[in-house]
Amino acid sequence: MDGRSPWYLAYRRLRHNRVALGFGALLAAIVVFVVAAPLWADHVAGTGPNATHTTERVEVDGEPREVVNREGEPVGPLWLGAGGKFFLGADGRLGRDEMVRLMYGGRTSLFIGVVAASITVLLATILGLLAGYYGGRIDGLIARALDVVWAFPVTLLGAALGLALATGGLGIGPLQISGESLWIPILIIGVVYTPYVTRPLRGQVLALREKEFVEAAVSQGSGPLRVMFGELLPNLLSTIIVFFAISVANTMLLESMLSFLGVGVQPPNTSWGTMIADGFELITSAPLLTVIPGAMLLLTVLSVNVFADGLRDALDPRAKLRLEAHAGKAEPEGTAI
Amino acid sequence: MRKLQAALVVVALMVVAAALSSCGSSGGKEGGTLTGSFASFPELDPNIAYTAEGLTAMYGTYLPLLTYAHADGEEGTEVVPALVENLPEISKDGKTYTMTLRKGLKYSDGAPVKASDFPASIERMLKLNSYGTPFYTDIVGAEEFAETKSGGIPGIEADDQSGKIVIRLTRPRGTFVQELALLYAAVLPAGTPAKNLTADPPPANGPYEIVEVEKGRGWSYTRNPQWEKSNAARIPEVPSGHVDKIDISVVRNSATQVNEIERDKADWMQTNVPADLYNKVKDRYEGTQFRVERPINIYFFWINVTRPPFDDLKVRQAVNYAVDSAALERIYSGALAAAHQVLPEGMPGHEPFNLYPHDMAKAKSLLEEADPPDREITVWTDNESPADEAGAYYANVLEELGFDVTLKTISADVYFQLISNPSTANLDTGWANWFSEYPHPNAYFEPNFSGESIGSTNLSNTDVPKLNEKIAKLGEEPLGSRQEDEYAAMDREVMELAPWVPYGTNTVSTFVSSEIELDDVIFNPIFGQDLTSFQLK
Amino acid sequence: MAHFAIRRLAGMIAVLFAVSVLVFAIFNVIPSADPARQLAGRSANPQLIASITKEWGFDDPLPRQYLTMMENILTGKVVSYETRENVDERIVEGIPATFSLCIGAAVIWMFFGILFGYLSAVRAGGLLDRALTVVAVTGISIPVFWLAAILLNYLTYRLELFPSGSYVPLTESPLEWANHLILPWVTLAVIFVGFYSRVLRSNMLDAMNEDYVRTARAKGLSERRVMTRHVLRNSLVPIVTLFGLDFGALLGGAIVVEGIFNINGIGQYAYESLINLDLPPIMAITLFGAFFIVLFNALVDIAYAYLDPRVKLGETAQ
Repeated sequence: MDGRSPWYLAYRRLRHNRVALGFGALLAAIVVFVVAAPLWADHVAGTGPNATHTTERVEVDGEPREVVNREGEPVGPLWLGAGGKFFLGADGRLGRDEMVRLMYGGRTSLFIGVVAASITVLLATILGLLAGYYGGRIDGLIARALDVVWAFPVTLLGAALGLALATGGLGIGPLQISGESLWIPILIIGVVYTPYVTRPLRGQVLALREKEFVEAAVSQGSGPLRVMFGELLPNLLSTIIVFFAISVANTMLLESMLSFLGVGVQPPNTSWGTMIADGFELITSAPLLTVIPGAMLLLTVLSVNVFADGLRDALDPRAKLRLEAHAGKAEPEGTAI
Repeated sequence: MRKLQAALVVVALMVVAAALSSCGSSGGKEGGTLTGSFASFPELDPNIAYTAEGLTAMYGTYLPLLTYAHADGEEGTEVVPALVENLPEISKDGKTYTMTLRKGLKYSDGAPVKASDFPASIERMLKLNSYGTPFYTDIVGAEEFAETKSGGIPGIEADDQSGKIVIRLTRPRGTFVQELALLYAAVLPAGTPAKNLTADPPPANGPYEIVEVEKGRGWSYTRNPQWEKSNAARIPEVPSGHVDKIDISVVRNSATQVNEIERDKADWMQTNVPADLYNKVKDRYEGTQFRVERPINIYFFWINVTRPPFDDLKVRQAVNYAVDSAALERIYSGALAAAHQVLPEGMPGHEPFNLYPHDMAKAKSLLEEADPPDREITVWTDNESPADEAGAYYANVLEELGFDVTLKTISADVYFQLISNPSTANLDTGWANWFSEYPHPNAYFEPNFSGESIGSTNLSNTDVPKLNEKIAKLGEEPLGSRQEDEYAAMDREVMELAPWVPYGTNTVSTFVSSEIELDDVIFNPIFGQDLTSFQLK
Repeated sequence: MAHFAIRRLAGMIAVLFAVSVLVFAIFNVIPSADPARQLAGRSANPQLIASITKEWGFDDPLPRQYLTMMENILTGKVVSYETRENVDERIVEGIPATFSLCIGAAVIWMFFGILFGYLSAVRAGGLLDRALTVVAVTGISIPVFWLAAILLNYLTYRLELFPSGSYVPLTESPLEWANHLILPWVTLAVIFVGFYSRVLRSNMLDAMNEDYVRTARAKGLSERRVMTRHVLRNSLVPIVTLFGLDFGALLGGAIVVEGIFNINGIGQYAYESLINLDLPPIMAITLFGAFFIVLFNALVDIAYAYLDPRVKLGETAQ
C-alpha cells in the first residue's frame, strides 16, 4: 500500500467519474444562478420578488402589454422582449416577476435544504456516537425516542409541527422565533429526518467499537469523549459526508412538499415549493408556472443525488455503505426497540 | 253524425294534447334525473346548517313558516308565506307576531304538519347550539332555554286546533320577519331528536325529500310524494320541482367538477368555477351553459380606527383613495363587481356611490397632510386564494404610500377567530368579507359598525354613539321604504368615516351541462341555485 | 421467541402512546386556535363559546382532555371540530380508496423495482445498467406532488387520455376502478421504483461476491440459475424490511396524490384536516398511520428473529 492518504485516493476516483463531475458542475451552476438573484432583480428585471404589478404595463418590442389582463391572466414568458423584465412571465394575478421569484425561491430552498441537512447530520452524529459507544441504557433511551419520531408518517409530523409553529412561532425561554421565519421549517425538517440518519450511523459506531484500535485507545486510558471524537468520528467521516449529501436532497424534497401543503415556508418568503403551489392554482391556464419551479427543483435534487453517488463511489468503491438511510439493513443487532 | 262525433273527439284529443304539452314551462321536459356535485359535504340538518352549500341543499326540502321568494335578484330577497297563510301580523309595539298555519299540510312520511311543531323545532335548534341561536333569543324565554335546554319557550304559543301561532318578543326586532324565513327556523315534526341528523335527514315538507345519504360522498333527492298530494296546492309561493330525482356527489377538486360538466357526465356544480378555468369556461359557454350571478356580499379591508396611524381620518381616507378596484378585479380573475360602500347591490337600501375614486396622487397628498408619526403597520389576510393575493396587493399599496408593512398570512380556518380576538397584537388592518344571513341592512350595520359588536364582528372598532343609537332604533323597525332610505343615508355616513375599504362583490357562477335549460335556473341571492328550477332539455 | 415477540409488541404499544401524547401536545401548543371558537364559527358570541367550552370539556385540565380524546378515538366516537362528523367513520370509509391506491402502487413499484434492479445488477457497468440507473436516480429526485400536477394537467385535462373524477369502488366497476387509479398509481410508484431498484442492485452486487455464489458457480450451475436462485433470493430479504419502513413516506405521498387526483381516501381527509387545523382527524389519522408503521416494524423484526437466529443472540449479547 503506497503512502497516499485515503482522502487523496478518494479525490482521484472522484475526478475520474465524469458523470458525477458533470452533475456537480450543474449543481454549482444552479447555486450561482440563485446567488445572482439580487443582481438580476436590480439590474435586469428592475423589481423584487414580492413587488406586485397587477395594473401595470410592460413594453414588449415597442408595444405596451398588460402584465395581468382584466380576466386575471398573467403575461407569459417574454424572454428578452422587454429587456429581461418578466423573462419567464408574471407569476399570476399579482403580476410578480417569475424569474426573480425563481431565483429568490431557489435561495430559500437551497438554504433550508443545506442547513436542515446540517442539523440532521449533526444531531445524528452526536446521538449515534452516544448510542453506539455507551450502548445499554443510553442506547435504549435514544433508540426509543427515535422510534417515536420514526413512527410518525414523516409528512404528517412535519405538517403538524409546521402548522402549530407557523401561526404562533416558537418560543423557548429567551429564544423567540417568529412564525414566518425560515428557521421554523429548517428546525422541523432537520429534526424530523434525524432518526433516518442516526440509525445507520449508530450501526456503524457499533461495528467500529469492536475494532482493535478502539480497544487499544480505551486500554490506554482515553476517556469517552476522546474515544468518540478522536477515534470513532474520523472513521465515520466518509459516511457522514455521503449522508449529508443525500440528506440535502431529501430535505429539499420535504421542504417543497410541506410548502406545497401550506405548512412549510410562509409568505412573504418564497421557495420553489410555494411557487409550485401558487402555480398549481393556474395549472390549466398557465402550466409553466408549475412546470418551471418543479423542474428546477428536480434538476437540483438530481444533481445532488448523482454527486452523492459519486462521492460514495469515490470514498468507498466497494460500496459497502448502506446508503439508503432508511435501512439499518438487517444488521445482527436487529432493528429492535 | 258519426263523422262529426269522430271529428269532435279528434279535436278534443288535440286540445288535451296541446294542454298537456304546455304543462311544463319554456319547452323543457318534466322529469328525469339531475346529477350535481358539491366540493364539500354540508350539514344536512336544517336547524344546524349554516354554510352556502347547506342552504342550497335544503332550500327545496325544509320549509319554515315563511320563506324567501323563489326568484333571482332583489325579488329573491322578499319574504313570502310558506307554511302559514299570510305574512305575520305585527302588533303596534313590534313585540307580538301572529300567524295561522295552513291547514292540511303533511310531511313526507305522511304525518300532518302541526302548529306545535314550530316551537318544538325552535327548541331543537337551540338545544343543538345552532349558529342561528342569536337570531331567536329575543323570543320571551328563549334565552333561558338556550342556556338551560329545558323549560320550553313561553314566548311561543301554538294551537294545533286552530293553527294559530303567536310569538312574543322581549323587545321589538325589525329583522325578525327575515329571520323567521331562515333555514334555522325550518319546521320539523315535534319529536325529531335533538342531534345532528345529517346521516339520516328528517322528513321533508317541501317539494323534494332527501333519501340516500352516504356521509362524505353524496346524497340523493326524490320528489316528496306528500308535496303533490297535500302541500303544493296550498303553498303557491313555493314551486314544485321539474326533475324527479337529484343525485349529488362530493367532488373535492373543482377542476374535476368542471371537467365532468364539460363532458356532460354531470349536470351542475354547486361550487364556483375555479379562477384558473374561469375565463376559459366563460368565453366558451357564457349564455348557453354559464352565467355570472351576483350574490349579496361585500369584500373589503377593515381598518382599526383605534390604533395609530389609522385613528386619523385623513389616513383612512388616503388608503381608500390608494386602493384600485381594477387591480382587485384582476386578482379575482374578473369575478368581482366593483363596489365602494357597505351595502352591496341587491340589498334593500342600496344606492350606489363612490366617495373615494382611485387616485394615488391624492392619496399621497392626503397622507402628507396627515403626516402620522407611526408608520409601522401589520396587514392581515388569510391563506385561501385569492384572499392571500388581495392581502399581498393591499400590503404593496400601503408600502407604496409610505408605510412600513408586515404582512401576516393566516390559515383560513383560524383567521376570523384571530382577528376578532381583541387580545391579538397589532391588529391594524386586513382583509375580510361579509355575507349576511338574510337580506336586511341591519345585518350589515349592526355586526360591523355597532359599538355593541366590538370584540366579535366589529373589526374596525367603530363606536360612534349617534350611529349606535340609529342602528339600534332602525333595527327595531320592520323594513319599509322609509327604512331603506335611512339605511342608504347610513351607508354614506359610515363611508365618510372610512373604517373600511370596500372593493367589491365576489360574483358567483352557475355552470350547467348542455342538457339543462340555463335560462330556467333561478339563483336566489340567499339560497343559491334553486333546485326546484332545474329542468332537463 | 415468544418472549421476544411479546416484548416487541409491548414496545409497540409504548411507542403508540408516546406518539399520541406528542400529537396532542403539538396541537395544544397553538395559542390562537381555540377549538371552542373554531366550533363556534364566524358569528360566535361569547355565550355560544362558553357553552361549547363546557359541553366539549375544553376547560378541563389538559391530561383529562387527552384521556377523553383517546377514549373517543378508541371507541369510535370522535367528532371533528370543523365538520362535526364522526372521524372514525370517515377514516373507515376512506380505507378502500387509500388501500387500493397504496397496494396497487406497491405492486407496480415492487415489480419494476425488482426487474430494473435485477437487470442492472446482471448487466452491471453496461449501457442498460447506466440507463436504468439514470431512470432510478431521476425517480427518487422527483417531487411527488409536482409529478401528480403535471400528469393531471397534461394527460387528463389536455389530452383526455385518462378520466378525471374521483375514485370508483372496485365493487362498482373493476375496469373504471383501475382506469381512475392508473395515473395515481404511476405517480406514487415512480419514487419507490427508483429507490428499490438501486437497493436491489447494490445488494445483488454485494451478494455476487459472496462465497456461496462462488460455490454455486463452481458446482457448474448456469449463470442465470445462480443469479435467480441464490443471489436474487438473498438480496430480496432486505427489500422486505425496507417495505415496512417506507410506510411513512408512502403515507406522505398518498396525502398529496389523493388530494390532487381527488381520491376520497384517508390521505385526502388528512390533507383537508391539515388545511383546516382540525385536530381530531389529524390525531386519528396520525395514530392510524403510526399504528401500521410500528406494526410492520414489529412484524418484520419478529420475522427476522425467526429466520435469523443471530438476531436473537445479538439481542441477548447486548
